[in-house]
Amino acid sequence: MNSLKGKAAIVGIGEVPTGRHPDKACISFGMMAARQAIQDAGLKKDEIDFVIPTGVVYNNGVNNDLVTCRFVEELGLKGVKTNELVFAGGASGSCMLKTAASLVNSGVAKCVLCAHMEKLGTGVPTSQGVIDLFSTAGISQEWEVPYGQHYSTIAALATTRYQHETGTSDEALAAVCVSNRKWAELNPNAFFRNPLNIEEVLKSKILSTPLRAKQSNMLFDGGSAFIVTSAERARDLTERPVYVLGESSRVTHFVFSQEPDITRYGWADAAREAFAEAGLTPKDIDVAEIYDSYPIFQLIAFEELGFAERGQGGEVFLRGDTWPGGPKPTTTNGGMLSQGHTGAGGGVALVVEAARQLMGKAGERQVPRARFAVETGTGGTYMDSQVTILGTEIP
Amino acid sequence: MEKPKKPSPVVNPVARPFWDAAWEDQLILQKCTDCDRFIFYPRLFCPHCHSDNLTWERASGKGTVYSYTVVLNNPPSPFLDDVPYVVAIIRLEEGVQMLSNIVGCKPEEVRCDMPVEVIFEQRGGDFKLPMFQPMVK
Repeated sequence: MNSLKGKAAIVGIGEVPTGRHPDKACISFGMMAARQAIQDAGLKKDEIDFVIPTGVVYNNGVNNDLVTCRFVEELGLKGVKTNELVFAGGASGSCMLKTAASLVNSGVAKCVLCAHMEKLGTGVPTSQGVIDLFSTAGISQEWEVPYGQHYSTIAALATTRYQHETGTSDEALAAVCVSNRKWAELNPNAFFRNPLNIEEVLKSKILSTPLRAKQSNMLFDGGSAFIVTSAERARDLTERPVYVLGESSRVTHFVFSQEPDITRYGWADAAREAFAEAGLTPKDIDVAEIYDSYPIFQLIAFEELGFAERGQGGEVFLRGDTWPGGPKPTTTNGGMLSQGHTGAGGGVALVVEAARQLMGKAGERQVPRARFAVETGTGGTYMDSQVTILGTEIP
Repeated sequence: MEKPKKPSPVVNPVARPFWDAAWEDQLILQKCTDCDRFIFYPRLFCPHCHSDNLTWERASGKGTVYSYTVVLNNPPSPFLDDVPYVVAIIRLEEGVQMLSNIVGCKPEEVRCDMPVEVIFEQRGGDFKLPMFQPMVK
């Protein structure tokens, strides 16, 4: 089998703090993150020969600029042969990474810059405007929008059925939010850094039963970037290349109500294949960067990937095993629940965080001796299940 | 600020017979005569076997609640006056799923796996939406 295992590596990362920056244009966030990533990789800017921006959600007009090479021009990159968007909603980080790794492995590209920028925090006039934007983005205007479906109801529907089938408590779901906050307290790029406890989560107002406000992400401005090159080049550039060791995925639906199992999705199959390609098991993983956006989706993926038995994951979060210092460090940037949601960027941030941990650059929240990480992403209404395994050595 | 109107379905022409039937208080589903499966939502051709041989059949209108939620806060603007309202995924007897609202009972009475049956509620001047209420014994 022709596998990507050990053929390509992340060699540079960049990220701007998630927040509200009304004084900056959207493209600025991507530019700052990209410059950081190029410097971090130790590359000359003109060595970048392939640029993959992902899409923005707040304003489709910006996507037209990105498609037509504005990002390359504003960055002043003179060696670029191709610029093209890879946009898969929240799965964009995983999808940019596998696309970049494939391009490098095939020889089509040498140094690929993948970048994200978003202005959902200050680019939409009102908070109701953001709710309304997200109540149609990726939701079927024929089969779901007329019934008042939006992202809170989608997370709530998954939570209701999952609790019905597994008996998982409200406290366990709140514990996912608490775990993510523990990490965000140590993350200077996170927006929500004050301590949070289970009682506060369960006292916050209900949006859609049983989902509460503090179990819901908030949308912000942000940007992040990473650079992918060949394994050989990576070894010249750094002592700790972050190799792509395995990846797999499943696309399961577009219309959320068409998903046959809203408590599982495609994670188990994707994870089995990704771990097999890497030659690793969940026990080998030092850091699990699991996509959240809502606690239910983080918990489901955590279990389906094999970090807990079905219905037992909540106990793992309640025990604090996933916290800083715990045996199963999980979503170590705080996730979208605490670092903040930046459209497609929530997933890109998790790729960047996985690489950051493996590079040993995670500062106060560094997981000691992290060698292997798993990163997950999912877009739209949890339309796909993307699993990527990364490591500093090739097993 | 003027409250936005409740959204009507943005219709794909292949689904026009579904909405026309709904206007007559009938729930119809496509069925593939080659692979013998019901199809929802309506498709240009069978998503299971790619056959063009699709018929429309009257559905029983009966199903169960796969999952549900009661919306209390922060809905999309057109639904601000509707809270609390129930959004649910219905599993129809024919083996397909659809999103809908549960009406005809208190929101707190809705449960997973509860039997429900279809009724139709008018939306704007041109549509009736299939909605579901607890099965009348």
